[in-house]
Order: sequence, then structure tokens, then C-alpha cells
Amino acid sequence: MNGAGTREERFTRLWSAPPGLRGWLTEVNNQPLGKRFMITALIFFLLGGLQALFLRAQLTVSGNDLIGPEVYNQLFTMHGSTMMYLFTVPLLEGLALYLLPLMLGSRDVAFPRLTAFSYWAYLFGGIIFYASFLFDVVPDAGWFAYTPLSGPRFSGAGVDLWLLGLALVEVAGITAGIEIVVTILKFRAPGMSLNRMPIFIWAMLVAGVMIIFAFTTLLTATFMLELDRAVGTAFFDPGRGGNTLLWQHLFWFFGHPEVYIMFIPATGIISMVVTMMARRALVGYPLIVTATVLIGFISFGLWVHHMYTTGLPDLAMAFFTAASLMIGIASGIQVFAWIATLWGTRPRISPQALFVFGFLFIFVLGGITGVMVAVVPFDWQVHDTFFIVAHFHYVLIGGVIFPLLAGIHYWFPKITGRLLNEGLGNHSFWWIFLGFNATFFPMHIMGLLGMPRRVYTYPQELGLDGLNILATVGAAVMTIGFLLFLWNCWKALRDGALAGDDPWHGDSLEWSVSSPPPVYSFIRPPMVRSRHPQWISEMDDSRDPWVERVRDAMDCAPMEFRATLVTDTSHAKPEAVQPLPGPSHLPLVVATGLLLAFVGVLMKFHLLSIGGTVVTIIGLVSWLWPDRAWIDLVRSSGIAAATGLPVLATGRGSTDRWAMLSFLAVLATAFGALFYTYFYLQLFSDSWPPDGITRPAIVLPVIALVLALGAAFMAWLARRRSDTSTDSPMLFLAGALVLGGGSGVCHVLGWTHLNFTAVEHAYGSVFWVISGVLLLTLLLALIFTVAVITFGKGHWDDREALALPMELMVLLWGGLAIATVSVFAVLHVSPILLGS
Amino acid sequence: MRRTLQISGTLGILLFLVGCGQHVQSVLDPQSDEASAIADLWWAMAIVGSVVFVAVMGFFFVAVMGKDGSRPPGGAMRFIWAGGIIMPAIVLVGILFYALHVTLRTKAPGHILTIEVVGHQWWWEVRYPESGIVTANEIHMPAGGHVLFKLSAHDVVHSFWVPNLHGKKDMLPGVTTTIAMHAREPGVWRGQCGEFCGNQHALMAFDLVAHAPADFDAWVEARQAAASATVQEERTRGKELFFQHGCQNCHAIQGTDAISNIGPDLTHLANRRTLGAAATPNERAMLAQWIVNPRAAKPGNNMPATHLPQDELDALVDYLLSLDQRP
Repeated sequence: MNGAGTREERFTRLWSAPPGLRGWLTEVNNQPLGKRFMITALIFFLLGGLQALFLRAQLTVSGNDLIGPEVYNQLFTMHGSTMMYLFTVPLLEGLALYLLPLMLGSRDVAFPRLTAFSYWAYLFGGIIFYASFLFDVVPDAGWFAYTPLSGPRFSGAGVDLWLLGLALVEVAGITAGIEIVVTILKFRAPGMSLNRMPIFIWAMLVAGVMIIFAFTTLLTATFMLELDRAVGTAFFDPGRGGNTLLWQHLFWFFGHPEVYIMFIPATGIISMVVTMMARRALVGYPLIVTATVLIGFISFGLWVHHMYTTGLPDLAMAFFTAASLMIGIASGIQVFAWIATLWGTRPRISPQALFVFGFLFIFVLGGITGVMVAVVPFDWQVHDTFFIVAHFHYVLIGGVIFPLLAGIHYWFPKITGRLLNEGLGNHSFWWIFLGFNATFFPMHIMGLLGMPRRVYTYPQELGLDGLNILATVGAAVMTIGFLLFLWNCWKALRDGALAGDDPWHGDSLEWSVSSPPPVYSFIRPPMVRSRHPQWISEMDDSRDPWVERVRDAMDCAPMEFRATLVTDTSHAKPEAVQPLPGPSHLPLVVATGLLLAFVGVLMKFHLLSIGGTVVTIIGLVSWLWPDRAWIDLVRSSGIAAATGLPVLATGRGSTDRWAMLSFLAVLATAFGALFYTYFYLQLFSDSWPPDGITRPAIVLPVIALVLALGAAFMAWLARRRSDTSTDSPMLFLAGALVLGGGSGVCHVLGWTHLNFTAVEHAYGSVFWVISGVLLLTLLLALIFTVAVITFGKGHWDDREALALPMELMVLLWGGLAIATVSVFAVLHVSPILLGS
Repeated sequence: MRRTLQISGTLGILLFLVGCGQHVQSVLDPQSDEASAIADLWWAMAIVGSVVFVAVMGFFFVAVMGKDGSRPPGGAMRFIWAGGIIMPAIVLVGILFYALHVTLRTKAPGHILTIEVVGHQWWWEVRYPESGIVTANEIHMPAGGHVLFKLSAHDVVHSFWVPNLHGKKDMLPGVTTTIAMHAREPGVWRGQCGEFCGNQHALMAFDLVAHAPADFDAWVEARQAAASATVQEERTRGKELFFQHGCQNCHAIQGTDAISNIGPDLTHLANRRTLGAAATPNERAMLAQWIVNPRAAKPGNNMPATHLPQDELDALVDYLLSLDQRP
């Protein structure tokens, strides 16, 4: 067995980053990066919590002058932004990135380098947020940054830092979201069909899809606002045809789903811990999955319930009330399913069990007040008062942080190999739970007694001093609880009891490996035969010899490169072997390029912006450039023959295809947000295009459209040629380049005929941005085509290597064709049909 | 005593106590039909919500404390359907219809007066288009009938909120929103900006005074008389100082050359109850301090300090306090 030991060591080396700082900077493995995500998020949590303590101290008594309005506004902006953008979502993403492979039975997540990029972008975004303290330009327009307060006239450089930091964090969020979705769809262990996925996985799948749509919308909106601030476009300036409510619509189209992006994974954690507490299968699994998916869908139809006081039509508001109330039913299903699961199981009292209890107690209250604030007339009164502050802290602390704490107590032994002290854990629970209620329950009453949100002081005559003192005392108590929790973690890391592989007798796959798990998670792909693979032992008669052969072939293999098994989306039958990249400096390079570009914008140092953009583009191109040496290495290994599965998969078996589809989904969402902007602005303007602006001529756009469609068709022909014969598809590829290039030229020529710029009217702003984004997409497709030509030249007969780049290129051209048609319809056809 | 009551109230009793108290800025002390309808809606939802909360937590405790191996009433699946789907559906549909009913009840049938209010950073411009009165940071209206408020914003988003009379309505730049409010009886309540609007969002409030209809007519006449009186008045030293020191660059006094509306209209200054959008009471000493150091009482506000010797300050304050002196 000595030989096997060395083999295992070699396998571990293959999956580990090189030692030292270089290894730390080039790390791509999900486990260290997942931990890094979580630790960074916890540091931001401490900073956000500290800010909250200052806010509470200021509000303790009426007329307090501990911190003035300026600092108060800065601190509540940073507190909200930190907790929403820098703590909760990144912590959940980190937890998911760490746990997904362990729970799914794979060796890493779908795009390891993207994990690293996501982390760096998140870290840099957070650093930009907090750099504002060093330069004394702390953002002060709130975490929601309503225009025009956040616009160029009414706020300073702090909002620029906020917007650009946020943009990086959004990019990090979107990439992590794509990663989570594709990993869940493609990297499940053989046999883990959709109906056998743990609820936490379902929850992350739903949240991941939501992140892609919601964060992209916010990214588009922040981009538009930064253009208003930096370039002088007029999206949100009512004086020039813009609209201030447009920001609120776009923001809450992100902001409401955002709440559920945090809450849905939290319910997934609760389902896991409840299963462990009850020591039996979750009752009503299909109902819980349905409820989770339903909440994800409905949450995109709720955004207006943040805007009841803006004077919208009653009928529209009634619709949003009804939709909001449906969430109540979906949540009710989950609550009663958990209670039914626990019924008669006499669960042992443990910190995670207490946090589940605390979650139920607080979340049910927060849900009830949530129903109240979804009711239009009542919301007119309590909107933007402390009642709302109370409500969403009940939902976010009770509904997200309590489940997270339950989850941390549950998975801490798996991640660290050490057990947390239960006595200390119970203590910390009671301090947090009681402190929480003392802090936030009185805020309901404060709101009803007329205390608005976001005020640094209040007059004594409102009679709010007593309640505020109680809230501040509660905050201190809660702080002690969190410090006890941290102390518990610190002590456990130093000398906690060893946990063993499975301290809770858990049901899911992560409990089948050692604690802490090996860096490759599974040396042999596991086989899943039930919803609870750890509870229900394998039955020999259900063994599929083909799957067993695949698993044996993948046992501690391949040794030449990192790889994991790809299975099909619904039934999880082995489909392909996916080679995964090892350590790489590219993620850090690309993220640094973005950071430099953004810092250049902030400092109005354009050379730096250009330099950063160049670094980003070069980094991305070398990242995505197909590498023939790598392909040859992958092909030369025996793993394809041993498993009988392709290693250079195309179609549904290729994660790269899913990456391209995800990218196209992001692009479609961005265009969707821009089209929404276009029609929203049109709806509120007297004439469209506005007076003084002539409708753009249609001839050149028509030519550009036809040429773009021709280029896409050429790309499709090129792929068909390379699929069916070994002849060179060069003619078609060159055709795509020429037609696409011609389309771009017509595009730019069309611009020179416009009699308006992006700044004098919002029409011009949205017109230029939409056509600009379209041109960038076209450029991307052209670059991709050039890459395929460079890669294929002289190797046109190597159809196997060419298949994937060709497929991705055609997908991109297809996306471009759809984008071109829709942009043409919006910018050039709709004014003819709807214009005045 | 009041403080002790409030602390104990958070344990559950207080909700009733505060519901009965007198508060100038409270949702729970409704003084109009609309606010009463909303307060009733709140109490109904609070009671239903409490019952639901107690029931759910009760089920939870029975579930985890109950006998080992016991089953939920009616079996697990029926329990989820009944508790998680049917029960919330009935409650929520009930609330939805009640809410629609309240929404309809808050629609005013008509109005007897129109008042325009414009939100500024951080004060309120108040105009009476029918009588030509322009004032700031204080709203007078007759009790009894509905008053239509036409709301807009000069700079950023604000929100108009007098909780004793109605819910809030946002004031948006470039858009006019409306809300009709009434007060059943004469009285004084406090209104407050309800949307974060920058530095001094906290100290952007106003007093709303509802008069008996006859008193309101008298108020209108007195204001109109005061505004025309400024035309004939002689040039006092204080008035000269007002223009010498550039006060007219931001403020208006009807009947004089001061017509700017960057800051609040001062035509009726002496008649007003507060200074700086309800930041401090309108007293002589506070007014003098406000001129010399406006940020003492309201940090961050946009009025520049005016340094002037004591005798000039006295003359200026004399003049300002002569503007529509209280009857």
C-alpha cells in the first residue's frame, strides 16, 4: 500500500497551490478561496457592526451630539452598504463555493480561475469602499443612493468611490453566481438527480440564478449613474429629460430580489440543520423545493413595494401587494415543513438547534411585519420609519444571520476539523438573541411614534428617549454575544476537540470525507443512490457497471492535470471529464487591471484608466485564448480511454458552453435594463425623440443590421464546415470578419450623422449607451473570431480541438445577432411605431 | 414615569398605552378619517399577526418538546398544507381585501383648499395659490374639510408626512404629486421629511396648524394684510441692514425688492412658531444666534454666517421680528 500512499501524495500536490506568497496569489482551489471569502466577509461584518454601534450610541438620547449629521450619514451609508454588499452575499457565496463540491461530490467548482477572480474583485471593491475613510470622502447617500441626491449636483467624490467599489463587488457577485449555477448543474456526483439534491443546493441554485439577473441590473444602473456623474449624461436628471424614479425602479428591481438572494440560501442552511436535528428526512421535500423556486420567481415582481409613497396608480400597487403576500404562503410552507420534520424527534439542545429556534422566532415576526408593510395604506405611514428598520433587521438578522450562525456551528467541524465549544455556543446564542430583540423590537414602536429612518437626532417632544436607550443597551448585549461567538471560534481553532469525519451523523456527502477535507474533496467520485447518501447504504443490485468503471477510472486520476466528472443536468449520468486549470496569476492580473482602471476614473487620471483597461483586456484575452499545449496534454492522458468519456467535451457536457450561455444571459439582462430605461424615459416625455432632436436616419443601421446577421451566418457556416469535413473553414471565418467589421463601420458612420450627443438630453444618453454596448459586443465577437482563426490556422484537420472554440464562437455570434435585431427594433423601429 | 412606562411597554403592554396617548407626530394618535382607517388597519393586523405568531411558536414548542415519536396533528403532509398554505392564504386574502377597503377609504371626495408645498434642502416652501400667501416651514389649514396638497421638490427627493393626519407622499423633482388631508378638529401636529434628503434630513420638519374655519379665514386675512403692509413701511435701519448684508440674495419679503426663494420666504417670519424648519423655537435670542451662526442650531445647513456688530444685529432682529408680528 506504500505505492498508493505516494500516489495520493502526488495527487494532493497536483491539487495544491505552490507554497509561499506566490501560491497564495495564484490559488484557484475552491476550499482556500471559499475560506478567504468567508474570513474577508466576517472582517467586513465586524466593521459594519462597529459602525452600527456608533449609530446606536448617537441615537441613545434625543439631541445627542456625539457625532453630527455628516458622520452619521456616512456611517449609516457604510453600515448598510457593508452588510448588504460586502458581508452577507459574499459570505454566502464563500460558504457555497467551499461546500458545493463537497456536497455535490465533485473536486472543485466549475471555473476555478473565476473563483479567484471573483475573490480579488470582491476584495478590491471592498478596499475601494473603505479607502473613502482614508481620503475623508466617505459616501453619504445611503446604501440605496437615490437620485438626484447621489447625482453630480448634490454629492461629492464619496459616491464615486461607492459606485465603483460596488461595480467591482457586483462583478464578483455575478461571476460567483455563474460559478454556483454551472457547478450545481454539471458537477453533481453520478446518481444525484435533481430530486436528490440537498435543499441547500436547491437554494443556492435558485439564489445563483437570481444573482445573475439582479446584480446585472444593478451593475447597469450603477454604470448609468456613474456616467451621469463622470461624463454628464442625463439618465436621472429631470431637467434634461431624465427621471429620478427610474433609478428607484432599477435599484429595487435588484434590491428586492437581493433580500431573497440572502434569505433563500439561509433557508437552505436551516433545512440542512433541521434534518440533522431531527435525525430524519425532511418532510415535504418537493413542497420546500417548489416554495424556494416560487420565492425566487415572485421576488422579481415585488420591487414596487418599496415605492408605494411615490404616487403610483392604485391598481399597480394592489398587484404588488398581492404578489408580496404570495411570499407569505411560500414561506409558510417552509416553516410548517420544518416544524413537521422536528415533530416528536426530541432534538438535542445545541448551539445550532438554538439558532434554528432563534431564526424561527425572529423570522416569523419579521415575516408578519413584512406582510404589514406590503399593505399599501399601512406602508404610507411606516415607510422610511424605524418600523421598517425593525422589520428588515428582523428579516435579515433573524432570517439570514441566525441561519448563518446555525450553519457555521454545523459546518465548522467539517471546515476546520475542530468542534466548537457547545456551552460557549449556547451562551453566545442567548446574548445575541436577547440583545437582538431588545435592540430591534422597540424600533417598531419608535416608527409608529413618528421616528423617521436615517435621522441623526430627534426632538425630545416625540417621547422616544426611553425606547432608544433600551435599543442601545440591547445593541451592547448583542455585541457581547458576537464577541463570545468569535472567542469560541478562536479557541476551537487553537485547541478545540477533534471533530472526526462526521460528528453529527449528517446525511449529505460532505460528511463522508475527512475533516478538514482533502483539497481535491473526493479522491474517487462518489455514487449517490438516495436523497441521503450518508444514511442509506449502497445496495449492490443497483450498481451500474458502466458508472462503476467510470468511478474506478477516476479513482485518484488523472494525475497529469486536475479534472472532475461532468454529469448530465437532470439525471446526473456521467457525460464527460472536465479538465480544470491549476494555479494561475491571470485572475489577479485581470482584477488588478480593473482596479487600476477604476482608480484612474476616481482620480480623473485618464492615463491610468487606459492602462488598467489594457491590462484587463490583455489578461482576459490570454485567459480565454485556447492553449494547444494544454489540449494536447489533456488528450494524451489515458483518462478518456479509461472512462470512455470525452475530455474535450462540446455541447451540454462542456462547462465552457454553460459559461458562454451565462455570459449571454448577463448581456441580455444588461440590454433588458437599458431597453427598460429607454421606454420608461419615453413614457414620461412629451415627444420622442424629444424636440430639437431629429430621429436618426435608418439607412446605415439597416445596413449594419444586415451585415451583422450575415457575419453570424458566416460563423455558423464555418462551424458546420469544420464539423463535417476537414476542409479549411477559413473562407467563412474571413467572411464573418469582413461582414462583422463592415457592420461596425456602418455603426460608427451612423453615429457621425447624429445631431445629438449623450449629454444634452436623456434620449441621447440612452441612445448612445445602447448602441455603444452593442458595438462593444460586436468587437468581442470579432476578437473571438480572430482567436479562432489564429488557433485553427494550420490545424484545420484537428476537428476535435477546434470543436469547442467553434461552438463558443457561434454562440457569441448568435447572441450578437439577437442583440443587433433587438437594438435595431428599439432604437429605430419603435420610434416609427410609437413616436410622436 | 413616562420613561419607565415606555420600557415596560416594550414587553407588550406599552402598545396599548401609547395608542391612547397624545402625540404630535404619531401614527397611533389619528386625527383624521384617513389616519384612523390606517391605525385601525394596523391594530387589526397586529392582533392577527400576534395570533399567528403565538400559534406558530406554539406548534414549534409542542413539536420539539412533545413525546418522542409523536406525529403532527393530521399527519405531516396535511399539517404542512393546513398550516403553511391554507391558513396563510385565508389570512392573507383577508388582509388584502381589508387593505383595498382602507385604500378606497383614504381617497378624498373633494377639497376646499389647495396648498402647494415644495421641498428644499432642508426646508419647506408653502404657497396658497388661492390667497397669494407664501410662507415656509409652517402650514395653516382649516379643520373639517379636505385640503389638497400639491407636492414637488426643488432639488432632491423629499417626502411629506404628517402621521397624525395621513401617510406620507414623496416630493419628486420634476413631478407633482398630490395628497388630500384633513383634520377632524383644530390642533397642532408635527410633520417631518420622510425620505433621506442629505445632511439635515433629520431637522427638516414643520408644524401643521389646523384652525376652526372662521379662525382660518381670519388667519388668511391677517397674512394678506401683513404682506401688503410691508409695501408702505418706512425704511428702518434694520431693513437697510437686511439689504446691505445681502440677505435678499436668498430670502424674499413680499412688497420689497427681496424676491429670491433660495431660502425661506420671510414675509411672515415673526408670525411663525419655529426657525430653521422646526429646528428651534422662534425666539429673539435664537433668531439672533441664527443670523450670526446658523449652524449652531442646525449643523450643515446652507445659510452662511453673517458677522455684524451687536447694535446692527439688534436692529436687524428688530426688523425681522416686525415682519407680520403675531397678533
